[in-house]
This record gives sequence, C-alpha cells and structure tokens, in this order.
Amino acid sequence: MTHIRIRAAAVAAAASVALVLSGCSGGAPAATGEIDPEGEIQPREISWLLSRPADGGVITAMQQIADEYAEEHPGFSLNLITTPDRPSYIQKYETLAAANKLPELFDTDATPFAKKLADQGRMIDAEALLKDLDLYDDYRPAALNYQRFDDGSLYMIPFEFQLEFFWYNTALFEEAGVEVPESLDDFPAMCEALRASGVTPIALDGQDQWPLERYMAYHPFRTAGPEYVQELKRGDAAFADPDGEAAVEWLHSLGEAGCFAEGFSSTGYADAQALFTSGKAAVYNIGTWELANLATENLDAGVRDDIDYFTLPMTPDAVTAENEYVTPSGIGMAVSAKTFDPLVRDFLAFALERYPEVYATTGALSPTSNVETTIPDNATPLYQRAVEQADGVGEKIAMPWDTQLDPASNTRLQQELTLLVQGEITPDEFIETMDATIARNGPAAFE
Amino acid sequence: MTATVLSPASGPSTTPESSRPASPRRRQRLNVHRTLASVVIWLIVVVQVYPLAWLFITSIRTEQDFASGNPFALPTEITFDNYVRAFETGNLGLNILNSLIVTLGSNLLIVLLGMMAAYALQVLGFRLSRFVRALFLIGIIVPVQIALVPLFIDYSSVDLLDTYQSMIIPLAAFSLPMSIYLFSSFYEYIPRETYEAASIDGAGPYRIFGQITFPLSVNTIVTVVLVNSIFIWNDFIFANTFVLSDGLKTIPLGLQNYIGAMGNVDWTATFAAVCVTITPLLLVFLVLNKAMIYGLESGATKG
Amino acid sequence: MSTSMLPSRSKTSVLVFLIPPLLLYGVAVLLPILQSLFLSFFDWDGITSLRFVGFDNYARMFVGDDVFWTAFSNSLGYLAICLILQLGGALVVASLLISLRRGREVVKTLYLLPAVISTVAIAFLFQRIYSLEPVGLLNQLLAWVGLEGLQQAWLSDVDTVLAAVSIPEGWRFTGLYMLIIYAALLAVPQELEEAARLDGANWWQVFTKIRFPYIRPVWITTTIMASTYALRGFDIPYLLTNGGPGQASELLTTYMYKTAFTHTDYGYASTISVFIVVECLIAVGLIILLLRRKADA
Repeated sequence: MTHIRIRAAAVAAAASVALVLSGCSGGAPAATGEIDPEGEIQPREISWLLSRPADGGVITAMQQIADEYAEEHPGFSLNLITTPDRPSYIQKYETLAAANKLPELFDTDATPFAKKLADQGRMIDAEALLKDLDLYDDYRPAALNYQRFDDGSLYMIPFEFQLEFFWYNTALFEEAGVEVPESLDDFPAMCEALRASGVTPIALDGQDQWPLERYMAYHPFRTAGPEYVQELKRGDAAFADPDGEAAVEWLHSLGEAGCFAEGFSSTGYADAQALFTSGKAAVYNIGTWELANLATENLDAGVRDDIDYFTLPMTPDAVTAENEYVTPSGIGMAVSAKTFDPLVRDFLAFALERYPEVYATTGALSPTSNVETTIPDNATPLYQRAVEQADGVGEKIAMPWDTQLDPASNTRLQQELTLLVQGEITPDEFIETMDATIARNGPAAFE
Repeated sequence: MTATVLSPASGPSTTPESSRPASPRRRQRLNVHRTLASVVIWLIVVVQVYPLAWLFITSIRTEQDFASGNPFALPTEITFDNYVRAFETGNLGLNILNSLIVTLGSNLLIVLLGMMAAYALQVLGFRLSRFVRALFLIGIIVPVQIALVPLFIDYSSVDLLDTYQSMIIPLAAFSLPMSIYLFSSFYEYIPRETYEAASIDGAGPYRIFGQITFPLSVNTIVTVVLVNSIFIWNDFIFANTFVLSDGLKTIPLGLQNYIGAMGNVDWTATFAAVCVTITPLLLVFLVLNKAMIYGLESGATKG
Repeated sequence: MSTSMLPSRSKTSVLVFLIPPLLLYGVAVLLPILQSLFLSFFDWDGITSLRFVGFDNYARMFVGDDVFWTAFSNSLGYLAICLILQLGGALVVASLLISLRRGREVVKTLYLLPAVISTVAIAFLFQRIYSLEPVGLLNQLLAWVGLEGLQQAWLSDVDTVLAAVSIPEGWRFTGLYMLIIYAALLAVPQELEEAARLDGANWWQVFTKIRFPYIRPVWITTTIMASTYALRGFDIPYLLTNGGPGQASELLTTYMYKTAFTHTDYGYASTISVFIVVECLIAVGLIILLLRRKADA
C-alpha cells in the first residue's frame, strides 16, 4: 500500500510542477506589437478590465461611445469589467497577467510590474499609436507625462486629468489668525495655530494610505525635484540624504504639531471629507475629482462660501515651479499586444477621437486640451476657477509615490509613515528602516 | 421541554412544609440562577442583534445625516433613496442569483460528498482510514488563501476561469473536511445494532446508506448546510480572484460597485444593498433554524 | 476506528464512497498545497520566469524579515482572543441557555445573526464603534459611565488595535459555536445530571463531571474549528486596518496575501503559506494532545 501512496504523491507533485511551469511560460508574446496590423475589421466583443467607479464619467462616456461604434459595426460590443477597489483590482490584473489572460484593454499605473509587461512586448506602444492616429498632440503634455515610465516611454493612455489642491476654510483660517502657507515649512506653525483655535487642522483619510503618502512626496519634490523619488526607488538616493532627511523631519514635525486628527489612521475617505465639509477641519488635500462635492451649492451654506484652495506651497530654494504639483491623469489604459488587431485599432481610433467631447460634458477635465469642460448648474464660482487652473499647469509632476516605488517598499513606507506621524518611531528609526527596505527590494525591482 | 424534564425534581417543593428542608432553598437558588442567566442571555442578545438593527437604520438614513450626524442616534428623517440608489448602481438581483447558485452548488457537493466520505470512514471503515482522516484534517487546517495562486494557474490551463465551477470547487473542497467530521461524529452515535439488523435483512452498504444513514442524517445535513451557507454566501476571496465578468459576480463583489473614486464609498447605499442581500440568507436561515431545532430536540429525547 | 460498523462490506463499496470526495479535495486543496511547497523554493513575480533559490526564502523568513515575526506574534494574540470569545463565550452562553425556560429558539436565532452579515459590513460597523471622530459607540459608552479619560481611537493605537480587530471576529462566530455546543449539551442525559444534583453536586461539579466529559468529542472538534478559523483569519483585519498602524495588526495571512498579490512575490508568499500550514498542523496537534490527555487522566 505504501508504495502506491508514494507513487501517487510523486505523480501529483509532478503534475503541479508542470502546471506551475505552464503558467509562467505563458509570458511569451504572441503578437508583434505592430501598431497598424493588416487585415479586415471583424467586429466582436472586446473587453476592458478597468478600475474606475462603476457609474463614473469614464465608464459612462466609453459605454456611450461603444454603443455608437456598435451601430456602425454590428457584432461589436465593449465589455467593461470594473473593479473599483484598487487593491482588489491590482490583484486581479496581476494574476491575469501571470496567467497570460489579459483582455484587449486593461488599466494600470506606470508601476514596475507594468514596465516588465512592456519590456516583454505585451503592451502596445501608446505614443506610437496615438501619433499614428494623429491624436498625440491633442493631449496635455502633463497628462501624458504622468503615464510615462522613467525612461520616457509611453504605454498607457490617460482618460482623466486632475489637479490636487489644498482646499481650506477661509473662515477657520481667519479665526485662527493664519495665512495661506507660503512654504511647506510654515505647515507646523499653521497647524498649531489652528489646533489652538479648536479645529482639526488637516482632514486626512489615513485608512487608504495614499493620502498620507502624498505628504511624503511634497517636500522632496520641492527641494530636489521629481528625480529624487526615481533615484530613491532604485537605491541610488536614500532617506539619509539631506533632501530625504528634511522630508522625514518635516513629516515628523507635522505629527508633533498635531496637524492630523487623532486617530487619522483609521479615518476613512468619506469621514475625512465630512470633517472638512462640515467645518470641523480647516484643510483638506484632495484632487479635482471631488470638485462636484466641494464646489457645489449643495454644501451647507455655512461652509460653502468659505471654501477656497491653494496649490502645493514652495520651500526656500525650491527647484520646481509654483505651477508644478500633483497633476495626475488617473490610472492609464494599456492595450494588450496579444489581442491587438484591426478591430481594436479601429475602435480606439474612433473612441479616443470622440472621448474628450463626451467626457467634458460630465463636468470633468479631459486629458486633452481641445475641449471645454461643462460647468454643472449648481457649481460655485470655485469650480470654474479650478478648471481654468488646469491650463496653467507646468511640465514637471509631483508623482504619487505609490505608483513609483516597488510594491514591497511601498507597503512598508505606508506603514512606517503612519508610525512616524503618530510619533511611534523617531525620524532616525524611520530612515534606517526605509533605507534598508528599499535597498533590499528596490534595485531588484528595477534591474 | 426542560420544565417537564425537571418536574420530578421540583415536585416535592409544591408543599412548602416539606419533609426535605433543602428543597425550597435550592429552588430559590435555582430561580435566582435562572433569572441571572436570563438577564445575561438577553444582554448578549442585544450585543448580537444591535449591528443588524444598526445596519437597517443606517440604510434608511439620509447621506447627510449619516456623514455629519451621530451614526448611532435615531435618524432625523427616514428615506428610501438609498435603496433606489442601491438598485440603480448595482445589479442586486443578478448578484443574489449568482450567490444562490454558488451556495446551492457548493452545499450539494459538501453534503453529498461529505456524507459519502464520512460513511466510508466511519461506517464502512478500511485499513487506511486513519491516513485519509489525517489527509482531510489538513484541509480544515490550511488557510484558503494558499490555494489562490495555484488554483488560478490550474484553472487557466483547463479553461475554468470565470465560471461558477471555479468558485464552487474550492469553496466545496475547503468546507468538505469539516462536513466530513460533523457527519462522522454523528455517525459514531448511530448504534451498531441498527446496521446489524439491516444487514441481517440482507441490505448491502449502498442500501444501508440510502435507507438508514441518509435519512438519519437529515438534522446533521441541516447543520452542515446552515454553517457552510453562512461562509459561502459571504465568500469574497475566491469570487474576487476567479470571477471577471459582471454576469457572474456574487454579492460581496456586487457590494464593491458602491466604491467610488479613490476609495470613496456610498455607505448608505451600500448598507441598503447589504440589507437587501442578507434577506434571502436570513429567510433560509430562519426556516432551517426551526427545522434544526425540531431535529435537535427530537434527536435529544430519542438519544 | 478502522473496523467496519457493518458486518459485511466490499472493497469496491469503500472506493465508491471514498473516491469522489477525495478527488474534489485532492484537486482543490492538496494539489495547491503541493504547488505552494514547490513555489516556496523559487523566486517568481508571476510574469518573468521562475528562478530556483533553494532555501533562500526560508532563510529570509526566519532571519531577515522583522515583519514576519511581528505578524506571527500578532496571529497568536489574535488566536487567543478569538478562542476566549468564541469557545469561552459559546460554552457559557450554551450552558445558560440550557437553563432558560422560554425563548430558547428566539435566542439561538438571534445569536447567530452576526454570522450572516458580510465581513464588509461588520468591518464598517466596528470602524464606527471604535472611532473617535466622529465619536463612536465605545467612546460614547465610556463617556456615559464617566471614563472620558479612556476615550481614544482604538484602531489607531498600536497597543489596542490587535484586540480591536480580534473582537469582531470572535464576536461574529460565537453564536455558531454556541449552537454546536448547545446541541451537544442537549444530548447530555438529564437523568444523570438530576441524579448528581440530588447527590448534592453543585453546578460546577455537574458541569465538569457530567456535562463536559459528555460533550468532549464535540468540544475537540469545535476547538479545532475555532483555532483554525482564527489562524486563517483575514477579512476583518484586512478590511478594518489593513494591518496597520504600522504592522500592529498584521497577521500572517494578511502578510502572506499582501506579499503575493500586492508585492507579486509569489515565491516568498508560498514560503509563508507553508509556514502557516505547519503552524496550523502544530496547533491542531497540540489541541488534540492536550484534550485527549485530559480525557485519559
């Protein structure tokens, strides 16, 4: 009996090896990456695996455009598969990539993982495609730059354009006797004054991690420019460097000055926003995707007219300009090389041409500069001003670090940041842990 | 039922001047004990039930009331807009149907295969049964998360991704060991004489399974189905990994539709959706619960 | 146990009943475990080719990874709290329920209610209960009894967060285990208990000498169930705090999941999986050993 058992186990083990191997050998690209493939347009169903709100502007606009396209091409349909929760989405997309089952279109940020896919020839060169479709010049340079990998190559197409502001409550500022900060270094004093007047200085959604990580990016972006994080993530720069250390000290001082609400790390998105819109918090750092909720008549009258915004403050000797800050164009859409054919190309040509106009009517900023955003009826004057601000944006972008670092370092950074701001660890401990983490994971991820 | 069982003991105490003076005191102590027990029990009931009440109350709050007011106070006004939004944003009917298919499919496998294995292990018996038991024990022990990556790879090579089976297979397989153990420990109590009597009548192992073991198992089946349904109905991890298309999304995935940009959640609509989606499970649960209680009581009096 | 309860049965009949469950189980549970074991010796990000690294992943786990050890000790803390709530709570409530005259069915049904609510909803509910701003239920209760000084953001404090994420998991399934134990207690012959009481045995003696020995088989199963479910606990810490602040509520399972699906480090994640499997096997072995020994003593 025993020998049968052993043999069965051996067979099972061998089968598992074969399956694992077949899974990872699927990486070889079947297609050539040709941006203008030859052949007939044969309508069929194509899928877009995306991570955007189910009833949001992008999906609504693309659905409408797909319906228009299907009218002229019977048999065509666009299957939009959305997973709005970003961590779940990333899991799904990465396992699909591992199984070599990526659909025609899929969303991704310019992450190290995406770079590997691009290097393997599994994604269509978006710059070449957009140029070939004669659409490249319509796009805002900042919107495209946000999607680029560090080497400047472009594999993702943007569908949004956002500006991230510090929204603030003018009445609460007046009460506390503080001015809009000129420099990031003014933040601790601002927070202390606001605290003293009995309000929460800054509303922060600590639960989703990325909002606090933005604060990590601000200081080095001003003192060292966008290159700092690109070097840091490879291990070529360190937190122990003067620019890094200054940033860590700055964050630590924000924590000491009580900038964020006690218990911020378990405050969710909606709660943080409610703190600000109910007049309990004085500052709220969020992008223009919330314009419809912040610059609207629907807000409580006591707060509505006091809301204003400022952009990322400078530092003394800043190397980036005042009009350069976090201006993301959202998660980008990549085109799978394996399934790229005349139909996909033709649909994209139609959809990308039509998209800006349809999308702008929803009141959102288009990633292109050739359309005008429709201002909603119930908007406050702030809406118009924020929209106009988009045209004056500079070239350099303060990239969100969560799309820059390798995932393991990023997770650790998010955890340690919370501890740093809560005062659980010292700046020195933070620097030591993070430099060691990046040294272990960074170089390997970007080799 | 307890009262009738206990009546012989409390009988003498009906005469206050009893010849056994210990009785009234004992009865008194018993009553204090009982009252205390009831109080504790009902207190815990409040703790257990409050969340559901809170869920429901939240689902009829206005968004503003929820965001700015005290979320534990009574709502200032009642609205059913959340339910309207829940149905507009989501695909609740379809999600419920999918969860139903997955739950029923898994339960069918769990019950049938669980009884079969328990029958083989406990009733039929064989030389390697200890080894097989140990093998199944592993399944109780290992966390389901470890199967995600391998299963994903296996599914994609046999084209099972994005199907009902892709969810049902691991859900059933991981619940199987527990169901086998529940059936086994129940079969232990079926007296050997029952089987011997049937065997003398000429029944083989298949007929005994169909005519004796299976009918006797009904109460255990109810327990197994009930326990597993709770886990399977709310399973998130397998569905999230193996299902891609909207048409197959189960309830936990459907609830994700209420997540907006950058992590913003329409909570009141989500809770409205939660209320809608737990209703079927709740109804089934209430019905099965009665059957189970009846089964347990008759089983207890017979045993 | 390996002897048949039937006077006669064929080998074929054993196979007929055994093969189908084993097949399903082998494909979906055993095979993935073997695959994980295999992967644990490799470095694999899912898209580039596998690289054999021998025992490097194991060396990294045991020596070079402070998060792993934090997660391990958190998992044990989580297990302890869940067991106390689920088994202790279940046993107490089931025993009390036996002595309840009326409304048992209602009570049982109501106790089970938390188990039918999805973890997403439970996570949000407890976020509200623990929250400080807006003031949550727990902090409100503290204020009512005059303990304002104890008010805090329970999920943001590294000292309280582990207990805070364990309690919902424990609370959720107390009703389930209570039901199982209650069913076992019902089967305890009343005559035995009554006889013992008449002999002057107190409540505790009745419990330890009669009730508990009688339900011991069910108790062992329940303990194994509760322990393994606690050791594979995932949803609530993941949804409530995502392991934070820092790694204060990181469990082995959430760490493994992140390593696999956020860091796409499938090889190392499989190594952690293998550890979890071994850890669980040891835990169950200990439970069986301890409870059996008590039975023999």
